[in-house]
Amino acid sequence: MLGLDSFNIDSVVIHTISIFFSGVCLQSPCSLLFEPVTLQPCLPSEFDVVILGTGLAESVVAAAFSRVGQRVLHVDRRSYYAANWASFTFNGLLTWIQQHHEESQPEEAQDWSSLLEEGEELIYLSNSKSESDSISNVQVFSFTSEEEEEEEAPSPDPPSIAEEQTGGAEEDAVKENSETESADSKEDDTKEKSEATADGDDEEQASQTEGEEPEADQPTTSAAQSQSEPIKKKISYPQLLKEGRRFNIDLVSKLMYSRGSLVDLLIKSNVSRYAEFKNVTRILTYRHGKVQQVPCSRADVFASRQLSVVEKRKLMRFLTSCMEETEEQQAYNGRPYLEFLCDQQLGDNLQDFLLHSIAMVTEDTPTEEGLTSTRHFLRCLGRYGNTPFLFPVYGLGEIPQCFCRMCAVFGGIYCLRHSVNCLVMDKETNRCKAVIDSRGQRISCSHFVVEEGYVGADRKQMATPTRSLSRAVLITDGSILPSDSDQQVSMVTVPPIAAGCPAVKMVELCSSTMTCMPGTYLVHLTCQSVGSAYEDLSPVVTRMFHTPESHDQENCPSVLWCLYFNMADGSGLEAEGHNLPSNVYMCSGPDGGLGHEHAIKQAESIFQKILPEEDFCPPAPNPEDIIYDGDNTSSAMGGEEEEKEETEDKQEKEEKEDKQEEKEETEDKQEEEEKDGAGEMEKEEEQTLQTEE
Amino acid sequence: MSMEDYDYLFKIVLIGNAGVGKTCLVRRFTQGLFPPGQGATIGVDFMIKTVEIKGEKVKLQIWDTAGQERFRSITQSYYRSANALILTYDITCEDSFRCLPEWLREIEQYANNQVVTILVGNKIDLAEKREVLRQRAEDFAEAQSMLYLETSAKESDNVEKLFLDLACELIREAKQNKLDNNDTAPMPGEGKTISYLSCCSLN
Repeated sequence: MLGLDSFNIDSVVIHTISIFFSGVCLQSPCSLLFEPVTLQPCLPSEFDVVILGTGLAESVVAAAFSRVGQRVLHVDRRSYYAANWASFTFNGLLTWIQQHHEESQPEEAQDWSSLLEEGEELIYLSNSKSESDSISNVQVFSFTSEEEEEEEAPSPDPPSIAEEQTGGAEEDAVKENSETESADSKEDDTKEKSEATADGDDEEQASQTEGEEPEADQPTTSAAQSQSEPIKKKISYPQLLKEGRRFNIDLVSKLMYSRGSLVDLLIKSNVSRYAEFKNVTRILTYRHGKVQQVPCSRADVFASRQLSVVEKRKLMRFLTSCMEETEEQQAYNGRPYLEFLCDQQLGDNLQDFLLHSIAMVTEDTPTEEGLTSTRHFLRCLGRYGNTPFLFPVYGLGEIPQCFCRMCAVFGGIYCLRHSVNCLVMDKETNRCKAVIDSRGQRISCSHFVVEEGYVGADRKQMATPTRSLSRAVLITDGSILPSDSDQQVSMVTVPPIAAGCPAVKMVELCSSTMTCMPGTYLVHLTCQSVGSAYEDLSPVVTRMFHTPESHDQENCPSVLWCLYFNMADGSGLEAEGHNLPSNVYMCSGPDGGLGHEHAIKQAESIFQKILPEEDFCPPAPNPEDIIYDGDNTSSAMGGEEEEKEETEDKQEKEEKEDKQEEKEETEDKQEEEEKDGAGEMEKEEEQTLQTEE
Repeated sequence: MSMEDYDYLFKIVLIGNAGVGKTCLVRRFTQGLFPPGQGATIGVDFMIKTVEIKGEKVKLQIWDTAGQERFRSITQSYYRSANALILTYDITCEDSFRCLPEWLREIEQYANNQVVTILVGNKIDLAEKREVLRQRAEDFAEAQSMLYLETSAKESDNVEKLFLDLACELIREAKQNKLDNNDTAPMPGEGKTISYLSCCSLN
């Protein structure tokens, strides 16, 4: 694709740096890696941008700066990447839970004023270990058996018997557990109790019965086909622990709109090469106590068995017509979308689908907003598959890491378990001149970008009162809507189950997304908080799944383990306007939206404020097109700066051309895809990229 | 999409302490040169070399750490979907050997189960400074069921062999997997890269 000329251009960015780490600090580089922090090498003392926190927005900012040649230092006090956007293995999540139950240690306020020069002032950041501000109401319930099941002879019992027995055993469990529950809420020590549950204490409810099939030696492979097996195996708690690394459990639950800003950025920047993605395969909704599939593509609509012929025609007509703005729509501006839909004479079925599952808005959302969401949904449809969404294999926590990798590839320096204690502010200019890191090193920088969690509440200016998100994570033993394939990735919209209840967004992930062990599903629930996460979401869980608290739900998938927590909603926070030096920018934590628009927009605006002339995340060169300094064809070694400037114009031009071509190609492909429809995508899905055979 | 010009594509990932010669190994193999001076290479994600083994074209995509190992901050995503890992230490640096268990823990945590791991003792050209005896390393590798090889990126000793042996082993495994292909658990790589999905990569 790239022309010959581009070889020289790409090679420009390939130069060797030996400025860092060449000092005394590096005398024994080998001892540094896993030794106590104090023995680590010193960091360089000057950067263009220092970034604290590795959430999505911060990581995108890091990649963007590094990519255009800025010297970036990116640190996080945690031992893992992605902050509140992280994903954890099962065991990792238990550790995270544990941390949120611990009392946060009062910070040791060290006096760094000796590092100050005249006219400077210190601003202390908050580095408390637990993010008590952003995460609250953590509650864990385990409904698996504590014991590893004993080997039994394979039992030919028909499933019905097994189910009856299971049901019986669990009814006993219900009693016990509900007692525990009520006690918990009264005593106000829910946290401790639930933690005990998580740790495998005696609160756990055994739900296995004799009629079950024994544990096979390789549960991993055979369990994946459990759908086709007559008897379901119950998965025990020790098994979850043992297979814990097969889980990648996200703290946030989002999907990637196939024409959303994140996907566009991943493609534009070539960061997409670090991750793999799966299509969300179906959109479901919960209506009249049943889980139903929402027809959204043309093929779906025609294949739907729930819709009458008249409804199909109406729906198709509506979906086609709403893509264009009409005077009729404008007449409804300011009035609820529901009213608009009502007047389209669509009927209850279609109205619900359109409101809750396609526009994904509430009953009082204004028409213009509802139409915008509907159009966005429809535009994203059919780019990659049958639904508008993609999901990254191994979970959403991969995405910030991918941007961090891009930053590192272009020279950014990474340091986890490392923080910034305070900022050095020049009183006269109100600018941050330097930061003092957790080891007392003064590092000068021109700009400082920080995750909001590190900034004390007294310095934040909140436009709106802090809202919060309610989250639940379930590990279940079956899909909420079993189908031919047991490897479906489902987006489920749950309209408010009663007046005053929040609308819940649910994502069910199968094991091929590499987020849960074979034989299980990982279910994420999210809503805007009304009460605590447990209060908001457990009614939905109890209705849609089988738990010891639910009744008559034997046909629903069983919850093996679940976690509830509240997370601060980052959508209300601005990057600027806080009581901070003028060159300090704040990134908010995850917001409640389904897509990633908020974080990407924030990252781009921070970048553009600092470097208005530069391109935001231009494509990284393709490794196959790079010519290295050792090759005689180019002379990228030495004098990089000059050369870089010389060719910069050329590079820019080239990149523009590339983009143009890319765009054209994409468009062509889209047309093709739209023609080929779903069949083509399925075929592609079966192919593998990395393990081509 | 046109057929790619290879029979196999493998992702090989290098890990090990800073300064043990990971980048030198890759550059020696892919470009046949030993870069003078120690410097991080900017802008290079991975390097590619296509080799022919028994008449089959094998494309090796070799990924380097991008300096993130220096402060023990390698992203988990780096390990994902690697077919092989080259765990490197410096035979003249005891510490780089002592860190191996830590690296193995990371591998166990994030790499896929079937990943082929090879332990490499680099810098055998500096024999007079050797701190880690070959026998010790061999024993360690055997205990962890890894392959073991000693190399010199500088003198080009065993570098070709390292990558070719790995390629052979990966082909062998791939064929084995194909043989007893019984719909095993989904392998990494089952998902698609966006560029593949959208067909708008710059290839």
